[in-house]
Amino acid sequence: MTRSNAGAKVVVAGFGSTDRRDDGVGPLVAARAQSMTSATDIGPLGDPLDLLGQWNGVDLVIVVDAVRSGAPTGTVRVIEMDIESDHDPLQSDWAEFETRVTSTHGIGLAGVVRLARAVGQAPKRLIVVGVEGEAFGFGEGLSPGVERAVPEALRRVVELITEV
Amino acid sequence: MSHGSTPDRTIGATGISRVEGEGSLRIQVHDNQVTDVALEIFEPPRYFEALLVGRHFSEAPDITARICGICPVAYQMTACAAMEDVCGVNVSDQISALRRLLYCGEWIQSHALHVYLLHAPDFLGCADAVELAERDRRTVERGLDLKRTGNLIMATVGGRAVHPVNVRVGGFYRAPDREAVAALAEPLRRARDAALATVSWVSGFDFPDVTGEYRFVALHDPDRYAIDRGRPRSSDGLDVAPAEFADLVREEHVARSTALHARLNGVGHYLTGPLARFALNAAALPPLAAEAASGAGLTAPCRNPFQSIVVRAVELVFACDEALRLVEGYEPPEPPAFEVRARAGVGTGVTEAPRGLLFHQYEIDDDGIIRRARIVPPTSQNQLTIEDDLRRVAQGGLSLDDHALQWRCEQAVRNHDPCISCAAHFLDLSVVRT
Repeated sequence: MTRSNAGAKVVVAGFGSTDRRDDGVGPLVAARAQSMTSATDIGPLGDPLDLLGQWNGVDLVIVVDAVRSGAPTGTVRVIEMDIESDHDPLQSDWAEFETRVTSTHGIGLAGVVRLARAVGQAPKRLIVVGVEGEAFGFGEGLSPGVERAVPEALRRVVELITEV
Repeated sequence: MSHGSTPDRTIGATGISRVEGEGSLRIQVHDNQVTDVALEIFEPPRYFEALLVGRHFSEAPDITARICGICPVAYQMTACAAMEDVCGVNVSDQISALRRLLYCGEWIQSHALHVYLLHAPDFLGCADAVELAERDRRTVERGLDLKRTGNLIMATVGGRAVHPVNVRVGGFYRAPDREAVAALAEPLRRARDAALATVSWVSGFDFPDVTGEYRFVALHDPDRYAIDRGRPRSSDGLDVAPAEFADLVREEHVARSTALHARLNGVGHYLTGPLARFALNAAALPPLAAEAASGAGLTAPCRNPFQSIVVRAVELVFACDEALRLVEGYEPPEPPAFEVRARAGVGTGVTEAPRGLLFHQYEIDDDGIIRRARIVPPTSQNQLTIEDDLRRVAQGGLSLDDHALQWRCEQAVRNHDPCISCAAHFLDLSVVRT
């Protein structure tokens, strides 16, 4: 079993629905990461607002979600958000993740981070691990390309947790 | 820019933000008359109903909870009520009280989210909750604290703050410890104070002068403000058992939407949710919530949809007060769940989700296998009334420029806190003047 450094608080949140095929990759990877590390899985989430109140004082938050960016299916991308700076996260490189990570709800992940900053409740670090999906219709089960990417996504998440 | 002198008008807009879920809205104006209003919803057509067929009846609470991340408890409670109806089981008062406490947690977190983060920015000229937080941090913190208290109840009773896992047909997998439930009292006292402050805050907003002609429908319970049980009643005299109500509700497809539009057979469209509950059940509010309503100048029925935010705040007071009462009287149910044996038949469950009435109806066989499932969420029931509101609000706001009219129309949708993700998946707004 892998452990993060003693004392570090890490939460991992898988976004998405297991009833929407590849959208379920986030919850799947997050749950497996929890079983292998000391990180707490607070998902599966569909609404980034549910992160509020669960990440206060946390050293690292890892959001795992399916994304659709045009990259080859199964591509794993890791993007860290700069929590401390005042820049608008929507203008940053990971703006492209906004609509993917936000599910269908009113305030997206970037908005929730800005809100958390405004009320002094942001975590110390936030990293998004995105897995490029291709099938988002109704139904259970990942597409083969995403299924093959799960070990890679899991490895990246576990590395992030243990490096804290 | 005023368009009052333009006979044909097209208003284009992009996206209703701050509505749970996504969809689209289209308003057509011809010769200064609103000619068509369509809230276009793209529903996962009966996906979950189809998924339920062939599954064991005991799986229904967990499967249906996945329909909506905002109100999973509503789906769990309603599925349990329907399955217990078909199997002829009446749970103990202790189980019933614990369910109501869990449901109060969902009301608190859902109403706090809607009032503070989704709806209030409309009234204060803020683009969103972030701008509101930047202008008035303490107020938003109060809203977040309220939401957190709701989540705390859900975590304590339901096992998790999001998608509770402790609910089963017949009761709970495990009764929470007395100490854990008792620990909710202090946060709830603070939340109740925060809810009272919420009523004062929102009742001071400027409300457009709009009066809706609504047929209200809500559950009625003679003993209390109905949440988890009761008989569907309407403001025009309907008073029926849940199964009969389910028979009366007819859902129809319209070409523009994959969501079903519900009508009460023979009497047309209707409204469920806070305005309806307040109209039909205000007398059942506990004194603290009733005083808060009266202090805010509310009298039942309230027919201004923009004041639904005040009613929601009053319901926050009620939910905190009721949860505190249940916490103080908590007796761990023993056993935590009744054994429920399958028997063939049809059962109906109706409860009050935060945004309105939700009903489930199932047919199961002797082995407990679901043969037919019907789930009617509040947004499907409210949709035609929301469109009616939009027609009225748009017509009354034609002197506004496109941007202001779009804002007003978005607000008119948000008044009813539609959860499009229960009933649909997408929401883009476009207002069209031709």
